[in-house]
Amino acid sequence: MNFLIPLIPALPLAGFVITGLLGRSMGRDSHRLAVWAVVASWVVAMVVVAGALTHNLGFGEGGFGVTLWNWIPATGFQADMGFYVDTLTACLLIVVTTIGMLVHVYSIGYMAHDDGKWRFFSYLNLFMFSMLILVLADNLLLVFAGWELVGLSSYLLIGFWYPRRSAAEAAKKAFLVNRVGDMGFALGIMAIWTQLGTLNLQKVFAAFAGVPHEWQIAIALLIFCGAVGKSAQFPLHVWLPDAMEGPTPVSALIHAATMVNAGVYLVARCNPIFGAAPEVMTVVAAIGIFTAILAASIAFTQTDIKRVLAYSTLSQLGYMFASLGVGAWTAAIFHLMSHGFFKGLLFLGSGSVIHAVDGEQDMRKMGGLAKKIPTTYVTMLIGSVAIAGVPPLAGFFSKDEILGGAFKNGFLWVWAIGFAVAGMTAFYMFRLMGMTFWGESRVDPETEHHIHESPPSMTRPLILLAIPAVFLGMLIGLPPESGLLHQWLAPIFEHTIAASGRTEAAYTFFGIDGALAIVTTGLVAAAIVLAWRLFGVNMPALGLRAEPRPDRVRELSAQPAMAALYRGSSNKWWFDDLNNLLFVVWGGRLAAAAFWFDRTVIDGTVNGIGVVTTGAGTALRRVQTGRVQNYALGIALGLIAMAIGYILIAVR
Amino acid sequence: MSNSLDSYLVLSGLLFAIGTFGFLARRNAISMLMSIELMINAVNLTILAFGAFITPLRTHAAVIALIVIAVAAAEATVGLAIIIAIYRNKKTPLVDEYDAMKD
Repeated sequence: MNFLIPLIPALPLAGFVITGLLGRSMGRDSHRLAVWAVVASWVVAMVVVAGALTHNLGFGEGGFGVTLWNWIPATGFQADMGFYVDTLTACLLIVVTTIGMLVHVYSIGYMAHDDGKWRFFSYLNLFMFSMLILVLADNLLLVFAGWELVGLSSYLLIGFWYPRRSAAEAAKKAFLVNRVGDMGFALGIMAIWTQLGTLNLQKVFAAFAGVPHEWQIAIALLIFCGAVGKSAQFPLHVWLPDAMEGPTPVSALIHAATMVNAGVYLVARCNPIFGAAPEVMTVVAAIGIFTAILAASIAFTQTDIKRVLAYSTLSQLGYMFASLGVGAWTAAIFHLMSHGFFKGLLFLGSGSVIHAVDGEQDMRKMGGLAKKIPTTYVTMLIGSVAIAGVPPLAGFFSKDEILGGAFKNGFLWVWAIGFAVAGMTAFYMFRLMGMTFWGESRVDPETEHHIHESPPSMTRPLILLAIPAVFLGMLIGLPPESGLLHQWLAPIFEHTIAASGRTEAAYTFFGIDGALAIVTTGLVAAAIVLAWRLFGVNMPALGLRAEPRPDRVRELSAQPAMAALYRGSSNKWWFDDLNNLLFVVWGGRLAAAAFWFDRTVIDGTVNGIGVVTTGAGTALRRVQTGRVQNYALGIALGLIAMAIGYILIAVR
Repeated sequence: MSNSLDSYLVLSGLLFAIGTFGFLARRNAISMLMSIELMINAVNLTILAFGAFITPLRTHAAVIALIVIAVAAAEATVGLAIIIAIYRNKKTPLVDEYDAMKD
């Protein structure tokens, strides 16, 4: 284990360095090394995961720590280069390495014709390395290093097609918005150090109960601030939809399945910190569930296929935070895992769709693709059903646990909003399916005749991701709330749950839990049927067929109340405009005022001193005539003045 | 009033004023040097006057006066040498033509 754990991030790092340095000269094979590095890393990670989850191979009950070297050996401040693997880390390792590997394979096909392929693969490897450091780190400083590195690789990959202005700007936006959150995280780390004098996670958690309560609240809020930035929660959610400017595999890997989960992971990892500050947990729940409904409402009206999925990601991340906030810790990690798989699947599927229709992303120019790209269609359908929460797919179990947790822990408002969001999710996902795969083709006739299914390197990852999207819930979520995942994660969260007093009632199928599940499933079914009625369906195997009715959609959205909602939704509730006004217009004015102040007052003072000095010098230069008699006159006058002064004083 | 300390002081004050005026007003370097001599001697006269009228100062005054005379002689020598050196350069004894100290 001492050797295997560091190997997990080391392999992608090697891939990054070698591909980054030599990739240009590797030509068409530049992806080979990068992909094999990640596959090898996956194999090693699976061994480690197996050990961690079964408490074999040297893993004790707590976890396994490896310290490579003393990173910062200053007196009074110690930080190790060390990794710590426990069951929570293992769950994240499964998601990160598996999806990372499949996305690498998928990218072979997706980026086959791109000149910058070597650059793309080296960035992807850099991302894998950073994400693994973030997940494996045993101290907050190393977590922060990984945190910033994923931010960097996200920036590089969003702006991968940097000659396109919108991509360059989206990358900048993502980077800047993330900095806002990272600032809070950094302050939180500093606050922890001032209070406890250590950054080692296990030591911090052990000693955290002794910190004054106001500091506990401050630290929890600051760390959550970082999570809000990275996981794109309200009010820092604006960067994620724009991040879709990056290549689709990047959207799948970084902006849906792994990096945006870092915030959820951080909060879950720091559960003793949040458990000590229940007030902050309520904030977490409120922000999470608000983001969930906000993003779901925006997803209703977006026409770009990737943007619908981006808002869906925001919404699902909001679910996870709501779950963390109400104290359903395991449910959040459960949803993180299942969401990682089905959202990765959906994004890769959308990439396959975009690939098929020649780079078109507007769903209004798709339609009727089901027969032409059957593998993509079937796998995306599985993903949609999974995210919608239809039993017995993955999304059903995880979403159900979150809603049940919220209900049973007394957060009725979180449950109510989450319940509505469940219906909305089902609706917008089947709107996406209807507009893309069913109904009449609206594809540009130019591209119509060469619509083709993607190469096997792209469709195989889809199939492989569809498997967990279907079975993951049944595998680790059954029986509900005492399945495998709960057994794995129970030791991580039990102290916090006991300390915060938010102990859920046991799962009762013939009681409240069963009732909630049935109600939610009913709503989801109704929403799906509504979406079918409006946007069409065509599944001959199930005997389902309905034509899309754009006239009815238009009619409904033209009603006065709906029209206002529609406008708000399609304008993303004007958050971009608000940010533009606040930070670009007003912030620009503030900057202009500061610039003016700097130029006139600060520079004016400095230059003024210079001008006065030279002016005085020029003026006084005339005094120095070089003639002895002038000087002597000065001396004489001075003597006379002194004499007069002496006389005046003496007389007095 | 005659043969009193005050009359000596008035005389030396007048001599000093004349010397000062001469130093400031005359353009000829030699005249300025002479004016300096006048001022020095005015001061010397004051010292000796004090020595003559205030008994405890008598011996001190004589010594100081002798030192002043010696210094004045040395100063005159050096001053004259400088003037001659400048005169050789500038070909004029008029001091308002001398402005090398400006640089």
